[in-house]
Amino acid sequence: MNRRISIMRRLRPAVMLAVIMALMPAIGRGDGCLDCHATWEEGAKAPSKLIKFDVHFKAGLGCSDCHGGNPNADDMDVVRKTKGFKGVPKPAEIPQFCASCHSDPVYMVKHNPSLPTDQLEKYKTSVHGMRLFEKGDGKVANCVSCHSVHNIESPLTPTSTVNIQNVPKTCAKCHADTSYMKEYGIPTNQYEEYQKSVHGIALLVNKDNGAPACNSCHGNHGATPPGVTSLGAVCGLCHALVADNFAKSPHKKAFDEAGFPECETCHSNHFVQKPQLNWVGTSDSSLCVRCHAANDGTRGFAVADSIHMALSHLNNAYNRAVGEIDQADQKGMMVTDERFALNDVKQAIIQGANEVHFFDATVVTKTAQDGSAAADKIYNSGQKKISDYYFRRKGLGIATLLITILVIALYFKIRTLEKN
Amino acid sequence: MDNANQDRRGFLNWLIGGGVIAFLGSVLYPVVKYMVPPASGEANVSQVKLPFKLKDLQEDEKHFRIFKFGRTLGIVILTPDNQIRALSAVCTHLDCTVQYRKDLGLIWCACHNGKYDLEGRNISGPPPRPLKQYAVHINKTTGEIIVAEGQG
Repeated sequence: MNRRISIMRRLRPAVMLAVIMALMPAIGRGDGCLDCHATWEEGAKAPSKLIKFDVHFKAGLGCSDCHGGNPNADDMDVVRKTKGFKGVPKPAEIPQFCASCHSDPVYMVKHNPSLPTDQLEKYKTSVHGMRLFEKGDGKVANCVSCHSVHNIESPLTPTSTVNIQNVPKTCAKCHADTSYMKEYGIPTNQYEEYQKSVHGIALLVNKDNGAPACNSCHGNHGATPPGVTSLGAVCGLCHALVADNFAKSPHKKAFDEAGFPECETCHSNHFVQKPQLNWVGTSDSSLCVRCHAANDGTRGFAVADSIHMALSHLNNAYNRAVGEIDQADQKGMMVTDERFALNDVKQAIIQGANEVHFFDATVVTKTAQDGSAAADKIYNSGQKKISDYYFRRKGLGIATLLITILVIALYFKIRTLEKN
Repeated sequence: MDNANQDRRGFLNWLIGGGVIAFLGSVLYPVVKYMVPPASGEANVSQVKLPFKLKDLQEDEKHFRIFKFGRTLGIVILTPDNQIRALSAVCTHLDCTVQYRKDLGLIWCACHNGKYDLEGRNISGPPPRPLKQYAVHINKTTGEIIVAEGQG
C-alpha cells in the first residue's frame, strides 16, 4: 500500500506536466506574454484584452508568432534581445509584417487553404500601397487600418470591421474625416452620399448583403478608383443586361470618344438614385438635354422625347390599373388574379428601363405598348369588379324594398281575411 | 262599393303574388350564381397542369417556359441531359422573374446578374437563397406536364 502511494507521489509531477501540455494549445502560445502584458498600464494592456476575439489567437497562434521574441522570458530586456524579435512594427512595416505569413502559400495552406496569398501584391497596386511604398506616406491605410489589430475577425463574422455591413463605416473612418484627408484633395462626402444611395439603403437599411459596399467597386487590397474605361464593366457585374444594352447603343462610341465614364455620367457614382421617369426626355429636368438639343443635327432629342412618351404611357397605364384594383379591393371584391397579372406590367416597366440603354425608341415603345395593353386589361377587369359591386348593392336595395312591400301586402291581406 | 272592394282585393293579391315571385328571385339568384363556377380558378394551388405539352417545350428554342403556379410564377426547363425540371421563377433577391440561359447552362436573373444552378442553388450574384424546386410528372402518352409542390 505504502509502496503504491510512493509511486503515485513520484508520478505526480509527470501527470501535471502532461495535463499542462494537453492544455497548451487551448490556451495559446501567447500566454507567457499575456501574463505580464495583462498587468501593465492601459496602453500595453489593450492587446491582452482584445486578443481573445482574434482569429489568429483562436487558431492557436501566440503573440510571438507575429512579434517574435521568447514568450517565456520573464524580463522584457531578455525578450527584446531574443533572435527574431520584431516588437511593434511602424505603419510602413505592417504590410510586410502580415505578409510574412499571408504571402506564404506553403504556410497559409496549413491554416486556411482557401485564403488567397496575393494581398500584398494587390496592396502594392492600390493607391494606399503606392503612397506608402513610393512616397513613404504613413497616413495611408495599411492592413490594421481596416482589419483592426489584435481583435482581427473573419470577414464573415458580423462584428468584423471588414464584414460587408461594416465596410462603408470602416472606409469612412478616414475618407469621411475632412481634416485627415485635407492634404489629399479628394472629396470626403462619399460615405454620406453612399448612405443615401440605392446601394447604401439596400445594404445598410434593408440588410441586403448582395448590395455593393465600397470594395465591390473599388477592390479591397488593390483599392483604387475604377477608371473611365472600366466603370461600365464594374457596374455591369450586377447590372449585366443594362451594360450589354449600353455596349450595343450609339452612346458607347460617343462616350468613348468624349472620354465620358459610362454609367457615372447619368447615374453619378456614390449617390446613385432610383431612376425617375423625367430623367429621360426633353424637359429641363431631363438628363438628355445636358448634351442633346432640338435641331442639333443628331436624332438624340427626338429619341429622348419618344422614349419618354412610351414610358410615361406605360407608367400611367400601370398607375391607372393599380388605382382601379385598389378601389375594387377596398369595396371587398376579390382581386388576387388582377394583382398577380400586375407582375407582367411591373416586368415590362423593368424591361423598359433596361432597354432605355439601347437609346432606341422603337425597342422601348414595343415593350411599353405590350405592358400598357396588359395594364389596360387589368384596369378593365377592375372596372368590371367595381360595377359588379354596384350591381350587388342595387340588387340588395331592390330585394329589401320588395320584401318590405310583400310584408305590408301580407298585413293588409290578413286584415281583409279577418274582416270577412 | 263592391267593385271598389273587388279592385282593392285584386291589387292586393297581385302585390302578394308579385312580391313572392320577387322574393324567391332574390333568394334563388345568389344560389344559381354560386352554382356557376367563377371565370378564374382558385388562387392557391398545390399542383397545376401546364398549358403546353412536353413536345412544345422540346421544340422551344429557348428550352424553358414560364408558367403560372397559383399566385406565383414557375419556370420549367429542358436540361442539357433531357430532363424536365420545374422551379419557382421568382428570384430570391428582389422578386424579378428568372430565365434559363441555355448558353450558360444556368438559371439567370436579368435584374442583378444573379445565377442559380439547375437544382435552383444560388451560386453567384446577390440572391440570398435557392429557388424552390417543384416535382414534375409527365404523362407519357399525352405529353401533359403536371407540376406539383414538393421536391422534384
